[in-house]
Amino acid sequence: MFKQKTTEEIKASARKRVTGSSGAFYNNPQVRSIVYQILLVAGLLYFFGTIIGNTLGNMEAIGIKTGFDFLSAAAGYDVLMSLISFEATDTYGRIFVVGLLNTILVSIIGIVFATILGFVFGVAQFSQNWLIRKVAVVYVEIFRNIPLLLQVFFWYFAVLASLPGARQSLSLGEAFFLNVRGLYMPRFIGEELAWLFHTSIALAIAGIIFLRRWAKKRQELTGDQFPVLYTSLGLLLGLPLLVLILTGFPFQIEYPALKGFNYFGGISVIPELMALALALSVYTGAFIAEAVRAGIQSIPNGQTEAARSIGLRENKIMSLIIVPQAMRVIVPLLNSEYQSLVKNSTLAAAIGYPDLFNVFVGTALNQTGQAIETIFMTIVVYFVINMIISFLMNRFNNAVALVSR
Amino acid sequence: MDNYQPIPARPAPVKTVGAVAWMRNNLFSSIPNSIVTILIATFLVQIIPPIVDWAILSANWTGTKEADCTRDGACWVFINAWSQQFFYGSYPTEEIWRINLMLVLLALVMIASFKLPKAIRMKASIIAWLALPFIGMAILDGRLLGLPVVSTDLWGGFSLNVFMAAASIIVAFPFSFLWALGRRSDMPFIRSVSVIFIEFFRGVPVLSLFFMGSVMLPLFFAEGTNVDKLIRVWLVLIFFMSGYMAEVFRGGFQAVPAGQYEAADSIGLSYWQKILLIILPQVIKVSMPNILATFVMLFKNTTFLLIIGIPEVVQTLQTALSNSYWLGGHAVEGYLFVFFVFWASCFGMSVMSRRIERKLNTDKRD
Repeated sequence: MFKQKTTEEIKASARKRVTGSSGAFYNNPQVRSIVYQILLVAGLLYFFGTIIGNTLGNMEAIGIKTGFDFLSAAAGYDVLMSLISFEATDTYGRIFVVGLLNTILVSIIGIVFATILGFVFGVAQFSQNWLIRKVAVVYVEIFRNIPLLLQVFFWYFAVLASLPGARQSLSLGEAFFLNVRGLYMPRFIGEELAWLFHTSIALAIAGIIFLRRWAKKRQELTGDQFPVLYTSLGLLLGLPLLVLILTGFPFQIEYPALKGFNYFGGISVIPELMALALALSVYTGAFIAEAVRAGIQSIPNGQTEAARSIGLRENKIMSLIIVPQAMRVIVPLLNSEYQSLVKNSTLAAAIGYPDLFNVFVGTALNQTGQAIETIFMTIVVYFVINMIISFLMNRFNNAVALVSR
Repeated sequence: MDNYQPIPARPAPVKTVGAVAWMRNNLFSSIPNSIVTILIATFLVQIIPPIVDWAILSANWTGTKEADCTRDGACWVFINAWSQQFFYGSYPTEEIWRINLMLVLLALVMIASFKLPKAIRMKASIIAWLALPFIGMAILDGRLLGLPVVSTDLWGGFSLNVFMAAASIIVAFPFSFLWALGRRSDMPFIRSVSVIFIEFFRGVPVLSLFFMGSVMLPLFFAEGTNVDKLIRVWLVLIFFMSGYMAEVFRGGFQAVPAGQYEAADSIGLSYWQKILLIILPQVIKVSMPNILATFVMLFKNTTFLLIIGIPEVVQTLQTALSNSYWLGGHAVEGYLFVFFVFWASCFGMSVMSRRIERKLNTDKRD
């Protein structure tokens, strides 16, 4: 039988041949590697042992009880904004959920707008129009190089704080109101037949997916193109509209109304959320624009020239030839930008948006003194969120990756 | 026979050269392009003159107090009056030369690592860089040098941002190098410890690391030990940075061709000789742009220190804004100033990174 030798074994046998002996045992790489690892394990055990011993001793001295019992204790303070019902008598466990939902909310808003801004300005850097190119470069170079914290403060203290008061609100069609206290939007409250409307939207989306597959197959078979974009738009708008007319508009609209010193009713967005979401989108958008630029630049010029030579129009070249290839470079970069956006959303603590970090590591830690537990739980949450993002982006990456035949 | 008289070349058509052609190609190449150009141009014409007027033409430049700001424009007097605070924090005025000395040392070491004679450049500059944070610490604190002691609560302003960022990345350098080596090691336990360390410090929000430094770290030390808050945050920043830099180095290690490792083995170099003499110089060369990018990130992140109450420049600005002698609402001037300082430093570094990249790019001259 022939056994594959490892590099170490080959080296060892070579050494034996040259020196005539296998040398002292402490020169044997395998022995050394085991000794090093044992030393490392011992060092780590000693290090963590000391830390844990010290911590337990210190906590006992201050009189803090370790453990997660505090989660079921009543919090006794209110939070500024909550997606689920919350009262001051609720527990720390519920505060954790409130904070988690707020973090997820601001992250999703940030990711959506950052992606839009990033792709618009990234592609704009390759525009034929000199002015557009320069505007895109200025946007990227300014917002990438200013610390995020300053941008959060800028939106919060300089822009949103200088909006007019409630009585002089900026309004759009008497439905949307923007003032120093936040953004107010109308809310739709579904009546009995509202489910028909929701179903019609789902049907329209399913129809579009089906239509795209069918059109692609038809194009591959016959070469004929089908106007997918316009039919999809028609389907997406037309079908729900038809349902709305047939069912006689099964919604009540609740408009925000000025009562006393502020608007009530409808959906309200607090300025803290607006400032944080704006800063995160604009900052991360600049980085995504750079990623998009790098992706597009990585495509050889020959691709553009080949596309021109077969007679594609400029916008088709971008959307059919360049961007799909550039996605291979862009997606891994997007993955890390999204993850850093989620991590950066902890800056909510600076302006008081009640995200997980602020309500839990900020307030709950102060009130209970459970430093280890609160920080541990928060860190685990950010790890899990980032792992989910990484998982989804890797799936997406596999979809856009080069298929080698 | 007459000499042949060539007809002088006709000038190129107006449409293809000069400003007119440039505008046709770059601004008005098609109808939608022209519309966009006109829209952006009108927008710029609308907003730029008022900004220039506010910031420069009708701004207040001279004076020492709030009442000197009499004109409509920006009140730069505010920045002027607080400039010492913004740059040096509450550091005692008669000791400020020490901060300046530290910054000069930083600049000297930086120049030395490019300009020293080649024979001693590598060794001398590595030693100088590694010693710098500790010398800087000793100068700023003053205890070891017999100077008056300045407690760390008084350190602040933009110089603190610079010091924290530089001191952390320098100390993180050797550690991150070890972590990167550990991650590539054949020894399973060393590899997994390195992976866990690196992924932990990269995966955690930096703000929660700062909270760990300020709230959790004191619990880890034996009872009675009292480590200064700034030192604790420094430790945390070093760990944070070494996690990020380890990944930068890992990329660098992967970029060095396997033949280099094999060649070093074949001439009989030991492991450390191979790594330090053959591999590391090439790794540093390929990872230089990423090292600078990581430093820019760290530098921007030093503003987060405000959240745990360390008086770096943004915190100083907020103190200045709430000062009772300056209640005229100078938030815009203050933020613009700090914006500009950070922007200029970070943009400068990214330009520098591009130049270094070109200079180090010895095999591909383009």
